[in-house]
Amino acid sequence: MKKLLALTLIFALAFPAFADYPDRNITGVVLWGAGGTTDSLIRPLSAVAEQYLGKSIIIQNMTGAAGSVATQYVYDAKPDGYTLLMGAENPALYDVLGISEVTYDEFDCVYLIGDEAVGIIVGKNSPYKTFTEAINAAKEKPFTLKYSMTGKGGLPWVVGSFIMDVTGAMFNMIPYESDSAAKNAVVNGECDFTACLLLQGIEEAKAGDVKFLSVMANEPARALPDVPLIVKEFPGFSKYLPWGAFYGVFAKKGTDPAIIAKLADAFKKAGPDENYQKVLVNFDVNFMGYTGEKAAQYISSWRKNTVEALKSSGALDD
Amino acid sequence: MEALSHMAVMIREPWLIALVAAGTCAGIYVGAIPGLSGTMAVSLLVSFTFGWEQHMALAVMVGVYVGSVFGGSRSAILLNIPGAPAAVATALDGYALAKKGRAGEAMGLATSQSVIGTLLGVLALATCAPLVASIARNFHSIDYLMLSLMGLMMVGSLSGRSVRFGLIAGCIGIFLGCVGVDGQTAVKRFTFGIVYLNSGVDYVVAMIGLFGASEALSQITDMKATPVKQKVDKILPSWAESAKYLWLTVKSSIIGVLVGALPGAGGDIAALLSYDQAKRSVKNPSAPFGKGAVEGIIAPESANNAAIGGAFIPMLTLGIPGDAVTAVLISALTIQGLRPGPNLISQTPDLFWLIVASLLVASFFLLVFGLTGIKAFTKIVEVPKGILMPTILILSVIGAYAIRNSVYDILWMFGFGIIGYFLKRFNYPIAPIVLGVILTRLCEENYRRGVMLQGGSVMGMLGSIFTSYISIALFVLLVVLFVTQTESYKHWQAKRRGEN
Repeated sequence: MKKLLALTLIFALAFPAFADYPDRNITGVVLWGAGGTTDSLIRPLSAVAEQYLGKSIIIQNMTGAAGSVATQYVYDAKPDGYTLLMGAENPALYDVLGISEVTYDEFDCVYLIGDEAVGIIVGKNSPYKTFTEAINAAKEKPFTLKYSMTGKGGLPWVVGSFIMDVTGAMFNMIPYESDSAAKNAVVNGECDFTACLLLQGIEEAKAGDVKFLSVMANEPARALPDVPLIVKEFPGFSKYLPWGAFYGVFAKKGTDPAIIAKLADAFKKAGPDENYQKVLVNFDVNFMGYTGEKAAQYISSWRKNTVEALKSSGALDD
Repeated sequence: MEALSHMAVMIREPWLIALVAAGTCAGIYVGAIPGLSGTMAVSLLVSFTFGWEQHMALAVMVGVYVGSVFGGSRSAILLNIPGAPAAVATALDGYALAKKGRAGEAMGLATSQSVIGTLLGVLALATCAPLVASIARNFHSIDYLMLSLMGLMMVGSLSGRSVRFGLIAGCIGIFLGCVGVDGQTAVKRFTFGIVYLNSGVDYVVAMIGLFGASEALSQITDMKATPVKQKVDKILPSWAESAKYLWLTVKSSIIGVLVGALPGAGGDIAALLSYDQAKRSVKNPSAPFGKGAVEGIIAPESANNAAIGGAFIPMLTLGIPGDAVTAVLISALTIQGLRPGPNLISQTPDLFWLIVASLLVASFFLLVFGLTGIKAFTKIVEVPKGILMPTILILSVIGAYAIRNSVYDILWMFGFGIIGYFLKRFNYPIAPIVLGVILTRLCEENYRRGVMLQGGSVMGMLGSIFTSYISIALFVLLVVLFVTQTESYKHWQAKRRGEN
């Protein structure tokens, strides 16, 4: 009897808690607000994945400072697999933007859901019929064309820096509080143009409120097959493409590999779920479903390309 | 006719009515508990209803939304803690009424006005959505700047005893509103290298600390006072009274719809602006504003519920959220495979009318759930202070933490509580602090944007006022509001009255 007890004790010590991970609910911290694209992609995915984990994933939105507050929060928590970061592309650039020192270098990517292409839009009364026309106008009078964006570090800001780098045109970049406000500024004529995720502009384009001048991709977009590709007009963009917003699930570095494998396994089963694939189509996200090395590689090359472009456009100091 | 046939879906699928009712009931409690918000509840429902049929998911979400906006008034009146941001203005006179033993009357009034406000909001949504949407769409940065200036001018009407003290309090609020990473340039301000300060001060935390915790602190130092016995014989306002205040209700609801429809301003700012409007326009209030005027409940409560219909207008007609809850609803629709945007109503008219019908049903249940249990609620105020005050402090801690799950917010809340306690002791008004925290961002960002849009010229920005009708109208209103507050205008008015 004593032997058995001792044996149990040894086993209990030798196999720490993760042997039966998860034994309680997991917290998933979304770094953008409720209703944003990140939030909308993560909630349904978690609802499916938790069926394979056997415990619930409780989603919390923790907004603020381009998501750095949520990133720091997960970084400060124990790397035990019970606090996950549900992130978008933003943390990959925190250090170069001076927002925070904690970037995706401090995290392992559990599951990379997919990415989303970006297009350039103008308002319905815009005099510019093509992207080249807009760029030529901007070159003629530098800093007069108004480009709406979501502030330094946001997606339109990065795209604007790409454009300035490749074309050499300079614009007046106007910051708004959200992507829908930046888009609305183009619709009501306060600004001349902006970059937005394809999904965010498609309905306005159908109604004739905005016009897509160009899609930032190497191949025609599924949702907008007739819009010209940016590489056709400015081949210089090809070195930065494919580029877009990406979304994924992250755990702090130092989390037991067995736990990450278990999580990755659950999300890998959830991603191809029929209903979830419909959600991805609704949001016009290109499904990737990467895990492990493949995901890490995608993020590091995304970061390399982006930082390079930001530096050569002068948006970032060397 | 087509509208009626779409709305009859409620009769064809009667379980929708039950879902709206359940949502409204849950929403009231979510709204009443400080720190829990309608936005949180509706986003929880997004995961919960993933896989549900569209109509059912929407019905329950609309119910929760309407319930939570109203629910905030409960804790504002009973505990002086506005349960939701839109109830800040309600606390000013609601709690004063409760202290006079008229909490039941205040809650009855809040209920009936919220119901009327909701109905007027729905009316606006159903009849003049395209008009309101085009105003919302063409609201430029300079217009938001002028709106925020109108809001800041309220420091005058919230100051009470002395404008000087009000200005000091307002400046404290504006200063605290500057803390955090600047959204436009990513520059950190007053963060001292602490990452959790990057996201700045949440104004709900400020509100819970300044109103709730400070009240508990000042009552604890005065334990001998016995709780006020509450009268519960009169709960619903009489028809004559309702008729008397009808014009105020309608005016406040119009403000609610318009401000609620603006993507950059929501029910909280609508409620504050209509409180200000009531204070300026009501000549002989039932009691001085801030000391238990029923007009001080009527205006913000009808405005914040009317703002619901307002917020749905840009969401349904343009695909642009009017506030945080409609932002979540847009994503819920997208998950369901719909494409919110300018074509939504023409492609899925049934959806538009389902939302209208759900709002109508929700306002009915608001009346039912809002009026039942008022007598039980008033007992809260009669609880001995030794029990009630610690409970308020605990609720304040939980509420502050729940907003962003941040321990720093608890510290902020206590900080605000202590500031509020001392300000009260020295007779400084505290509402201007909350006003400052709420409006700083709106004011500063739109000012900077307005200047940037003109290539860095302040004169150019002022000149741009005269390029749109909306801007001209707002400018005229701003000037009128300012001039009628000046001493020389008041002298002139008094003189003119003397001559007559």
